[in-house]
Amino acid sequence: MIVFDGVSFSYGSRRVLRDVHLSVGFHERVAVLGGSGEGKTTILRLILGLIKPDEGGVLIEGDDITGKSEEELRDVRMKFSIVFQEGALFDSLDVKENVAYCLREYTSMSEEEIDSRVREILGSVGVEHAIHLMPEELSGGMHRRVSIARSLALGTPKMFLYDEPTTGLDPVNADNICRLISDLSKDGRGFIMVTHKVSDALKVADRFIFLKDGSLLFDGDSRGLLHADAPEIRMFIEEITYQDRAAERTPYGGEHV
Amino acid sequence: MDIKGLLSDLQDFYTLSYRGLLGIVRRPFYFKDAMIQMDYAGAGSLVIVFIVDLFVGMALSLQLSAELSSLGMKMYIGMIVGISVVRELGPVVTALVFTGRVGAGMASELGSMVLGHQVDTIRVFGFDPVKKLVTPRIVSSLIMLPALTVIGVAVSLLGGYYIAVFVSHQSGTFYWSSIRKILTMENVLAGAIKPFIFGYLISSICCYMGLSTKGGSVGLRQSTTMAVVMSIVMIIISDFLLTRVLLYVLGFSV
Repeated sequence: MIVFDGVSFSYGSRRVLRDVHLSVGFHERVAVLGGSGEGKTTILRLILGLIKPDEGGVLIEGDDITGKSEEELRDVRMKFSIVFQEGALFDSLDVKENVAYCLREYTSMSEEEIDSRVREILGSVGVEHAIHLMPEELSGGMHRRVSIARSLALGTPKMFLYDEPTTGLDPVNADNICRLISDLSKDGRGFIMVTHKVSDALKVADRFIFLKDGSLLFDGDSRGLLHADAPEIRMFIEEITYQDRAAERTPYGGEHV
Repeated sequence: MDIKGLLSDLQDFYTLSYRGLLGIVRRPFYFKDAMIQMDYAGAGSLVIVFIVDLFVGMALSLQLSAELSSLGMKMYIGMIVGISVVRELGPVVTALVFTGRVGAGMASELGSMVLGHQVDTIRVFGFDPVKKLVTPRIVSSLIMLPALTVIGVAVSLLGGYYIAVFVSHQSGTFYWSSIRKILTMENVLAGAIKPFIFGYLISSICCYMGLSTKGGSVGLRQSTTMAVVMSIVMIIISDFLLTRVLLYVLGFSV
């Protein structure tokens, strides 16, 4: 269980989170929605202990991580698998070395074993053919897939954290990533997906949290989200409605016959 | 100026440079990372160090030749070029070249890693970014800058020789015997200690600036510029201080 107990956080003079109270189980499939700069990514960074809250505490399985050192946080971080925005692959290493990064450090596997394990993981996310490519040679979708593969290399995390996993992707690739996210959580492992694309969130998540001005404006299921009255949420929902309507029109605006 | 912010930055810089240096003797050791950095810093800088130091040696010899010939003391070219290059110009010019090429590269590479969340990824994977990123760069600077300085000094002396012999028409044998005379333990030590200090300063400052990058491409530009400017200023200031201390310690009278 992840618990935010009255968490506040600021970047300089800009308050990003204000007295946030939140509980998320490791099995839950959560989408954190909101506009740019509303503190969505900050929530993921706080969970991993990459930043410390100004006030309040972040508890992972009942253990407050806010006062922990980098050494102590290592065990906490190993419970999660994070995919940062745009993948965050090491651009000086090829796909194989990116995925093998932790294997080389934390295991005593031989070169053959590493090669076999890397191919297996890449195969599970559908990009085995890209094993010798450099990150700049990958498409946006492949980039995210390799990043997911890298996060799986060391073992089985308790929960996945995704930071804008479909941003910047075309609809087909975005749909493929959503399918992959959904597949990876079939064994009961949950995820927290930060996104501003409501349509993608609705495909994979069961619980939706909407952030506005550093506070939780909404926390509930898809039915509640789609019928929410708050104008900020309605604007996000209307984006889907607009897309649905646009799909019914021809490219030049005429109605389908 | 925000004094509190400045003091906080200085404290962060001190902590980073101290932990980066301490990483040399603490496990785990990242030899491969250090070798990659040494290749980039050393082999990659060789040509530019060669060119710059050669022309600095030639220009110095030319200036001295013009001045000393009017006094009828052209025979001192070798001695003055030797002392200037070994004690002062060789270490300083090589350090400035190193800052422009390697230091700027360190700051911009680490800065783009910060902006691309690669440093966060390293932390999430359980690595210490200071040990993984800063220590190999400090090690490479501590080894490669002194090595490049030795090469730079040799090339500068060669440039000075060319001008002394083929332009100023001095005896080559006399030039080299003057150089040999000034290569005393005191003179060599006065020049040899500097590159280690400069290398540590350049790598610490540039790594700190790179890892402090914020605010996208404009922030990256600012941190890289600051890294180079601060390194150059610190090289010049520390050169003066080191010269003062070394002259005293090595028993030179001023």
